[in-house]
Amino acid sequence: MASLSNSGWRDVCDKFKNAQTLSCEESLKDPVNDPYRSKYKARELIREIHCTLKSLEACEGEEESGGDGREQRASEAFVDGQRDELFTDGLCGESPPGMLTAKLAAVEFYLGVNHAETEELSAGHEHLMNCVMLLERCRVSSENVSLSIHVRNELGIMWTRRDEAEKALQFLETAEFIYQRYMKEDGSPPMDKIEYFTTEEKLLTDQERTEKFEFIYTYTKYYLAQVYKIVGETERAATYCHNTLQRLLPLKQFNRMEWALNAATLSQYYISKGQFMEGRHCLSAASVILGLAEVPSEAAAQESEAASEQREKNRMQSAHISRCWIKYCLNLLEDAKKLLEDNTGELDTDRQDELKRERTLGEEEEVKSRKSALLFGSEDTFDSIASLEEKVPCLFPLDFSEARAVFLVGQNHVKEAKEYFQMEGHVTDHVEILQDHSALFRTLAFFEEDLEARCKMHKRRIDMLEPVCNELNAQYYLMIRRQLMFELAEIYNEMMDLKMIRANTQADTQSLDKHSIKKINHLCSSAVKYFHMFLDSLRSPDGKFPEKMEEDVLRPALVARFRMARLYSKLICSLPSAQLENLNKALDNYTCITQYCEEHPEAAAAVETELELSKEMVELLPFKINRLKVAMVANN
Amino acid sequence: TQLVCSNDSNSIKVFVRVRPLTQGTGLTTDGDNGLCLKVTSPNTIRLLSKPEPRTFTYDHVADMDTSQDAVFSSVAKNIVESCMNGYNGTIFAYGQTGSGKTFTMLGPSELDNFTDELRGVIPRSFEYLFFLINREAERSGQSKSFLCKCSFIEIYNEQIYDLLDTASASLFVRENIKKGVFVEGAVEKFVNSAAEAYQVLSMGWRNRRVASTSMNRESSRSHAVFSMSLESKESVNEVVNIRTSQLNLVDLAGSERQKDTHTEGSRLKEASSINRSLMCLGQVIMALVDVSNGKNRHICYRDSKLTFLLRDSLGGNAKTYIIANVHPGSRCFGETLSTLHFAQRAKLIKNKAVINEDTHGNVK
Repeated sequence: MASLSNSGWRDVCDKFKNAQTLSCEESLKDPVNDPYRSKYKARELIREIHCTLKSLEACEGEEESGGDGREQRASEAFVDGQRDELFTDGLCGESPPGMLTAKLAAVEFYLGVNHAETEELSAGHEHLMNCVMLLERCRVSSENVSLSIHVRNELGIMWTRRDEAEKALQFLETAEFIYQRYMKEDGSPPMDKIEYFTTEEKLLTDQERTEKFEFIYTYTKYYLAQVYKIVGETERAATYCHNTLQRLLPLKQFNRMEWALNAATLSQYYISKGQFMEGRHCLSAASVILGLAEVPSEAAAQESEAASEQREKNRMQSAHISRCWIKYCLNLLEDAKKLLEDNTGELDTDRQDELKRERTLGEEEEVKSRKSALLFGSEDTFDSIASLEEKVPCLFPLDFSEARAVFLVGQNHVKEAKEYFQMEGHVTDHVEILQDHSALFRTLAFFEEDLEARCKMHKRRIDMLEPVCNELNAQYYLMIRRQLMFELAEIYNEMMDLKMIRANTQADTQSLDKHSIKKINHLCSSAVKYFHMFLDSLRSPDGKFPEKMEEDVLRPALVARFRMARLYSKLICSLPSAQLENLNKALDNYTCITQYCEEHPEAAAAVETELELSKEMVELLPFKINRLKVAMVANN
Repeated sequence: TQLVCSNDSNSIKVFVRVRPLTQGTGLTTDGDNGLCLKVTSPNTIRLLSKPEPRTFTYDHVADMDTSQDAVFSSVAKNIVESCMNGYNGTIFAYGQTGSGKTFTMLGPSELDNFTDELRGVIPRSFEYLFFLINREAERSGQSKSFLCKCSFIEIYNEQIYDLLDTASASLFVRENIKKGVFVEGAVEKFVNSAAEAYQVLSMGWRNRRVASTSMNRESSRSHAVFSMSLESKESVNEVVNIRTSQLNLVDLAGSERQKDTHTEGSRLKEASSINRSLMCLGQVIMALVDVSNGKNRHICYRDSKLTFLLRDSLGGNAKTYIIANVHPGSRCFGETLSTLHFAQRAKLIKNKAVINEDTHGNVK
């Protein structure tokens, strides 16, 4: 600053420092009825700096006349897309006019942010655009690259505030381009925007510069993640979330607990998209990073409340991550099941063979290429993440032993999650974990060929769910209980079927023994009991069944009726009168379905198959009932 | 056991109340006499938006001249009655600061007199509840008795404070298999009459004001939850029948302060102001995961304390009324529109009873 005296420059620096303090610290204490008082004061100071700089520019302007006319483009028509020119044309950043321009641009930037923060968006926009235009006079260089990215981040924020995500995207993508090209072509630690108005002795070190610069670019990634989400490019958004997390990893200061939780949450995005490799990677990274988080010792926790809170929080996050692992295992098993089942829900062995063959044929290569795309890890964590990954399968299990390996990982996490989410204090979470555990057993049972062993798995499910269902307060846990009642009914139903199949294969040689009959009937009536409970839970306070059922319970309620009808007709009884009674009940339930769908035609779509079968049964059952009646009369 | 459930599709009802224009409320609208809305029928409101005015429909719309008693009759009477029968009930007041939430719920702020014509929904609910309790106890002879407990908490910055015990540190929400969700360690005061309940309420309310000045908590940024739990005991032929229910009366933080993902839609979470915190990234990812419905997934972030505490009231098996308060001044247009939008969305809030049903191959 040749034309500014030392004391003059010091004055500018002081003003800047004051403005910063006012804007960042003082403003937090501003009263509610005058919320922007400090921000307005800061604005005045920056304006004064602006005047000083302007007068300097006027002097220098005589030497070098005007820019190249780019700034004359109307700001409204501006397209932030002339990216290559940013690196090839314009003033040299180091030169005095280049520096002065950067400083003027910085002032415009601060004014822009200040206006945006005080809800004067359009004035803010104008200043930020002035900043962009000024910077366009210069080539991108270490003197202005940081500011160039920063101002585009702010414009990205501003345009999303105005609901114009496409425009925001343009600026943010340019910011990304500038960073990448700068790093490729120059890469030296660039000046930070706070350095434009500091005295020599307070300039940042190279390391500080690099750190700040990397952070600004991390913000770019982070904003891009959000804008891609807004414009509907979820896949890209996920990648950018991933990027943001990855960029934080090598830094010394980041909150490991938060990081781990974010990575675990991201895993849930991947598994819901069926990308188990990425899901597993996120979860492994989450587990490893959480393991590195600093946790106060037990002794420290007894001494201070803050330490004990911190310890407790760590336990909770760890349990959350375990729950994400459970979902990973569950979804992997369930998706495999969907691939492998035939139209009766049984294992399709042809399909199984085919998939096994496919797997040996080069699918692994595809897996490798995908794996190189997105990876977490810094030097010290890379190996531990990879070794954790190896312990958990990520390909669809195709037979029982593979399924069991996935199941066991899930079950281990069930155990860990339950240690924190205990029933006392965390009822909802605890029950959700139990439900997942039950679901793990359900999918494992699909892969089990031995019927007896399968039954035992279902029995385990009943043992874990039945006591909870009966103990939960019906008033406060209605929704959860409904789910449990339905699930229990389904399990009993399933077990009854399995016993029936076994009994039928034996029945070729011998007739059903008393014990089997008793067992089957018990399972049958337990299933009926829980379906009944479920339906009763839909009744209104005065005991009436709703005339029109809500969408979310419509299908379950009609399916419950359908199952009950079938169960009643399966009950084995020697007394014809009892049999007659059961058949009548079955008919009642079938009729219920057909009638409901007649009165509410829109319901038919939800239970298409069931409705069709019910209609048939409503026609057929009366004949059966009549025949039974005739036989009874004849026998009397 | 009798299963408690109200399955009517209107489990959440919405009542919109328009406050009158007055001076000196501290709102930026003071002195502005332009109106931005018009009540067109007992359940519709027309917002004079441009280019076309828009009409919103609710369960009830109360115009400026509606009396406190009329509000009570249409909003709270029914809920208090169902509480007597063992059902949970919740009444929320929602709206911009200055739109009349506290007036609707409590009445004029300087109110000490319990019989004032301007007293709000809460004191009226006390009166009616104890009127019903006394009538019921009398009718049944000695066989039926009632026990009523009150607690009063404030949620500020996701921390829970006990307004009946200002000395206590912040509290935690926990769950019990029999009791449901509760605030651990919150003081519960037994009350025998409407007057006693009112005393508890005004003590808590005073504490709220003291806290807001001395501890720098802003009351327009905090939610206040007054809960009454009612237990009825009936002995018939040596068999004791116990029924419990809870009535929650909630004064929500000013809606203009709740600029979160849900009300703000597409605004970016900014990192510069949050000091390198990643919490916001969590919210971004959550939004991503939420898109993929239907899959079994776990979200690591808890609901807000308020929604967790009132989970039963936001869908499920409770009777819930939301009173959306709006200011008719044309300068409040933006906030009023957002309140009306919220009130419409509120009707859609439901806890889905997702059934873990195997959809394949069960038909045999």
